[in-house]
Amino acid sequence: MGMIVALVGIVLCGMLNSPDAFGAERARLRHLTSIYFDEKGAGLKNPEGVACTDTSALVVGDTRNGRLLRYTVENRTVRPAGEIRAPQLSNPVRIQLNSKGDIFALDGKSRRIVRFGAGGEFTEFLSPESVPAPTTFIPRSFKIDRNDTRYILDVFSARVLVLGPDGKYQRQVEFPKEYGFFSDLAVDFKGAIFLLDSVRAAVLVAAKDAKTFTPLTQSLREHLSFPTYLTTDSRGVLYLVDENGAGIVMLGQDGSFLGRQLAMGWNEGLLYYPSQMCVSDKDEAFIADTGNSRVQVFSIVR
Amino acid sequence: MCLRPKWISLTLVIAAVLAASFAQAQDKYRLKPGAAGKLCLSCHVDFGEKLKSKFIHTPVKTAECSGCHNPHTSNHGKLLSASMKTVCGTCHDKLIPSKPVSTHRVAADGDCVRCHDPHASDNKANLLRAGNALCFSCHPALGDSLAKIKFKHKPVEDGCLNCHDPHASGKSAHLLKSPMPELCVGCHRPDSPSFARQHLNYPVAKTNCVSCHNPHGSNTAGILFDTVHAPVASKRCSQCHGAPTSPTPFKTTRPGLELCRGCHNTMMNETFSKSRVHWPLLDQTGCMHCHEPHASTQKKLLRREEASLCGTCHQDTMEWQARLAEKEKQERAALKGRPEKGAFTHQPVQSGGCSSCHLPHASDNNHLMRQASVVEGCGACHDWLKHTSHPMGEKYTDSRNKNLKVDCLSCHRAHGTGNRYMIPFPTVTDLCIQCHKQFTR
Repeated sequence: MGMIVALVGIVLCGMLNSPDAFGAERARLRHLTSIYFDEKGAGLKNPEGVACTDTSALVVGDTRNGRLLRYTVENRTVRPAGEIRAPQLSNPVRIQLNSKGDIFALDGKSRRIVRFGAGGEFTEFLSPESVPAPTTFIPRSFKIDRNDTRYILDVFSARVLVLGPDGKYQRQVEFPKEYGFFSDLAVDFKGAIFLLDSVRAAVLVAAKDAKTFTPLTQSLREHLSFPTYLTTDSRGVLYLVDENGAGIVMLGQDGSFLGRQLAMGWNEGLLYYPSQMCVSDKDEAFIADTGNSRVQVFSIVR
Repeated sequence: MCLRPKWISLTLVIAAVLAASFAQAQDKYRLKPGAAGKLCLSCHVDFGEKLKSKFIHTPVKTAECSGCHNPHTSNHGKLLSASMKTVCGTCHDKLIPSKPVSTHRVAADGDCVRCHDPHASDNKANLLRAGNALCFSCHPALGDSLAKIKFKHKPVEDGCLNCHDPHASGKSAHLLKSPMPELCVGCHRPDSPSFARQHLNYPVAKTNCVSCHNPHGSNTAGILFDTVHAPVASKRCSQCHGAPTSPTPFKTTRPGLELCRGCHNTMMNETFSKSRVHWPLLDQTGCMHCHEPHASTQKKLLRREEASLCGTCHQDTMEWQARLAEKEKQERAALKGRPEKGAFTHQPVQSGGCSSCHLPHASDNNHLMRQASVVEGCGACHDWLKHTSHPMGEKYTDSRNKNLKVDCLSCHRAHGTGNRYMIPFPTVTDLCIQCHKQFTR
């Protein structure tokens, strides 16, 4: 009897110490619904951007239609909430929202980050202040954390720029010397910055206030083809969007592989060249299913 | 003192016993005289002819066949006493340095007989063929091009081994005996007036010579690579670099693509007016990701041939193509000449013609496609699509998704799927019933 108790104890300890324990358990994506249209019934065309908040707001970058679409998500029901069209934004490819509901969109054509107020009015082009030389920056992607701190993946000057909520320069973390090509970055609740190397199919990390990036994973090529988007949820699970392989790969905070979900296809629940992904605190995942001209909504079943 | 004679006697006895046991061991198997080698020739009579060669491998010369072969049984071909790598390595253990920078694949694999005759040969080092002919037997493309080129590099004609170590190099890539430019300046003295004049007084003695010159020779004077960037051909280095006398003569006058924009302004403007730019173009390496700044063997100064170049970043696509090609090969062999229907792979992708469908710099279309319309894009080669096919185009909505129109990619994937006809399902029926559900069994 004592031996059985000891064995159970050892197994429990092992479970608690494993990367899969509780916070980073394996999860499944279960399809809930898909968004095909705006409020007037016009179809989406190759949407590449999607951003969500915990307060039911959802913004879609309807890329080939050159507009942003707003939706509300309540009780897993998605309702259109208007359209934003602006001459400053013709090709929205990445979207983020801050805590005030302001919308930030990266324009793939002008390669500038455009800011809209919560009401949808154009506010400004994001222009970092007091950035050290080289002052030129070209954003490939960006993220805004819960404190409204902005993180810009500057591919021209090979660095991640960290800007305060007021747009003022705070610090920068330079890219490592050896890398393939960084397509995206993510920031977790601890302030760690993650970089996604699409060419090497690997993730790098810089802990909060660290000055350099170090590898978090080896090449994940056996699990994915060409990842182009990276995001994280409130538990610290990393989600990699495999654009060419049409799937989502999940990693623990330590880089451990937690699983791969979804596959290539046209029917609901399947993906065709997915782009951006957003995970809300309500365990809902929104994926811009670009090739299928829709946004799919999934619940994360843990 | 009185013990000394006893000790001497004891030592002598022990020595005698040891000598006797050694002699017994020697004759333990009652081997016939010459059993280690000479005896072998009594059966392998044709081997006598071989021994008339100019160069005979030492163990053969000393008649020690059992140095390499087991006379009775072996788990290795030719009754070798161990794997070829181990057998050869017993004596030749220093051919590959402990920390090689580059290694000849055959040497690393221990496939020594690809180049050497283990018994005897009329060529030095028991090589199978003399001079460069041996190298060209595996590197035929290089041999063919060297035979045709106009401007030859003398050391290459004299022998590949002037620059390359055939086994491994502890100092340099490409099996070079020394790293560049050390290897080059061994012959080409950079302090000579003509060298300085040819290089417009730029201090190139410590730069990478193969940025401009083809070390094997070329059809361009000065053995420059055959595609030369116009400023290099017209010796206007300072168009991009500092003056030869400046403290940083090789530093470019502007960073990244801003430098290239100076001349290629129209192309740049056109590129950056598109909705989608190939992202690597926008970092500081910019154009140099794909193009050589000085000279190249490839058209448009590409760094490598297209498939390999695109595959540098898009490894997933190229690895997939390799797997599909292998599958095609295996299935073709299994068909034994019977006709096969439907391709596994798309010919332009297989042959590295990525730019047949994609624009490498920028495009207004998804995936940097040349054409906005998939039907038009595919129709550029498959013209029958335009007159006889399944209904396709803007008028026809995909029944699986109201936002999609029926086009070629509704049923096929241009990079292949592992199924014939490049369809995403194992059978044509599986594909058709995706939309024509009434025919589902």
